[in-house]
Amino acid sequence: MNSRPLLLLRLTTAVTAEIGSTPNGKLSIFPVTGGSFEGERLQGKVLAGGGDWVTTKSDGTIELDLRVTLETDDGALIHMTLTGVRDDANNYFRTLPRFETAAAKYAFLNRLLAVGIGEIRSDGPVHAIEEIL
Amino acid sequence: MQPDGGDNKIGGQIGNVAPGEALKTRLLTTLRVIVTAPQNIGAVPHGTRRTAPLSGGDFDGPRLRGTVVPGSSADWLLLRVDGVLEMDLRVTLRTDDGALISMKSFGLRHGPSDVIAAIGRGETVDPATYYFRTLPRFETADPRYAFLNRLVAVASGDRRPEGPIYTIYEVL
Repeated sequence: MNSRPLLLLRLTTAVTAEIGSTPNGKLSIFPVTGGSFEGERLQGKVLAGGGDWVTTKSDGTIELDLRVTLETDDGALIHMTLTGVRDDANNYFRTLPRFETAAAKYAFLNRLLAVGIGEIRSDGPVHAIEEIL
Repeated sequence: MQPDGGDNKIGGQIGNVAPGEALKTRLLTTLRVIVTAPQNIGAVPHGTRRTAPLSGGDFDGPRLRGTVVPGSSADWLLLRVDGVLEMDLRVTLRTDDGALISMKSFGLRHGPSDVIAAIGRGETVDPATYYFRTLPRFETADPRYAFLNRLVAVASGDRRPEGPIYTIYEVL
């Protein structure tokens, strides 16, 4: 399957809200306080106010459910959601981002599927997002 | 971009792939589904909705082969106002060794209007002439297939008159 780099997304998160054990697993909520993204076709910053709803399941894997708003350096707003799986036992952290925008310049984002490679760094999560061609 | 390691806020060290490295995939299975007459829901606030129940199908690949269970399998389709078809496929798979697997995949299909019109007329079209990609996820309780619970997949679709063929790749 062919892909090409779309953007590198860096997030900063605040103190986690630990909801605890629910019928679906252990739920933690990471507020997103900001961040940045860069790529050949779009770059800008992550607005504060998003978050990642992270559920640790009974098999030890972690499901992500992230929602953020991206603001490009030329002022367009992009609604981004991201689901995915983190399996630390197998060093596997892959995500499925989706984008919605009303900005004509970035309408191509409404029409593509993407896959992200995630990594937790000391200064926050980083997602390298590839467009599926 | 190289990983810089560092402490981990949520768990142990992860990431054996550097961000920016090209996406690697491996063939998981090829799924053929048989689509029956669609139920045309019609104009809804988000676009035009129709549901296409599946009467069956099969899948074959190095690690996954079997048949599609009819009755609980369909594709929920939404033609958006921008001309993009959103697909929400939910299929129950039964492997040749008796495991049941629930598969859900979100997908997008769009292309030049003449190509999409030809597909609408039931013609076989070169899949390279339009965009038809989906993102399957799997759920199973069968320990032999538990690896499916832990992976993300991408699929390339080929719309044939009897139904789509999906070539499904595990994202490594």
